[in-house]
Amino acid sequence: MTAMTFTGSARVIRSILITSLPAAGAIAVFGTLYGAGAQPLLGTPMTIASSLFIFSGALQFALVGLLSAGAGAPALLLTAGTLNLRHLVIGAVLRPRIGGSRLRRAGFAFTLLDETFGFAVSAPEEAGADRTLFVSGVACYLAWQVGTVIGVLGAGFSGVERLADAIFPVLFIGLASLAATTGTLVVRALAAVVLTAAVALLLPDIRALAPVIAGALVALPGPSEEAPSSGEDQT
Amino acid sequence: MSPLLVAVIALITYGSRAAALAILPRPSGRLELVLGRMPAPIFASLATLTLITEEGALTGGPILVASLGALLVSPKRSLAVSLVGARSSPFLRAPP
Repeated sequence: MTAMTFTGSARVIRSILITSLPAAGAIAVFGTLYGAGAQPLLGTPMTIASSLFIFSGALQFALVGLLSAGAGAPALLLTAGTLNLRHLVIGAVLRPRIGGSRLRRAGFAFTLLDETFGFAVSAPEEAGADRTLFVSGVACYLAWQVGTVIGVLGAGFSGVERLADAIFPVLFIGLASLAATTGTLVVRALAAVVLTAAVALLLPDIRALAPVIAGALVALPGPSEEAPSSGEDQT
Repeated sequence: MSPLLVAVIALITYGSRAAALAILPRPSGRLELVLGRMPAPIFASLATLTLITEEGALTGGPILVASLGALLVSPKRSLAVSLVGARSSPFLRAPP
């Protein structure tokens, strides 16, 4: 019985890893770009420390951009606060799917990224959102660290940077299709596309927040909707 | 960037991740309904953002073709099939 459970767990973990692999590969490539770009500004120890402890590609690239433009600590902290606001929303979306004690959930929180959030909310019941968040998070974390070190050392994945660029839109389109389980969710997703494009084009300074702004606006209930009585229209 | 600044930014980042997942109470009622509707729009929005550069232009043609391939097979509702669909792009079949 125990052996069967272990085999089942190993199969589930392998399945999560296979699903996470394209994203982890792309993250490794971006890690090399980060390592190569940050090393001259931060030095080797701080570049590696930033990846180890911050573990947020969007934020780390933004910090390097600000530092190269001569920004000071207040601007860096403000940027960190702003870019991280989305975690409050995606964390709240994920919260009902993550069980266990507060300490356990706090441990899982370190692996919360846009990508791992996607894997977790679309995880099959057998895999579980919490296990998917953790396993895919560890895969992405290791990929980011390896990529950073390779970049710091001056190496890279020559020729695959553009391939990595293509992974993320494809990944998010696939995740959207998994999450859009009803016709109304498809319509809401399409509305979010329009809103996001408008924000990106008209308000580029807040484009990083566009996903949570658009996601929240299109998810709001209509005036005729009553309080929820079933799981209909949910992912 | 000093070690202290890296530590503070790391704390802000982790705190934002842990706040909703471990500190704030689990949402209920109408809020849970709204939150339950958000993943698909968020992913669609993230996909859109990756296709628009910070200068407000569309990304390169090959990436658009790969995305279109993924979009065409999206009714299959499978990540693996999305990747296969994206490989319809000649760019993805033979990276430079």
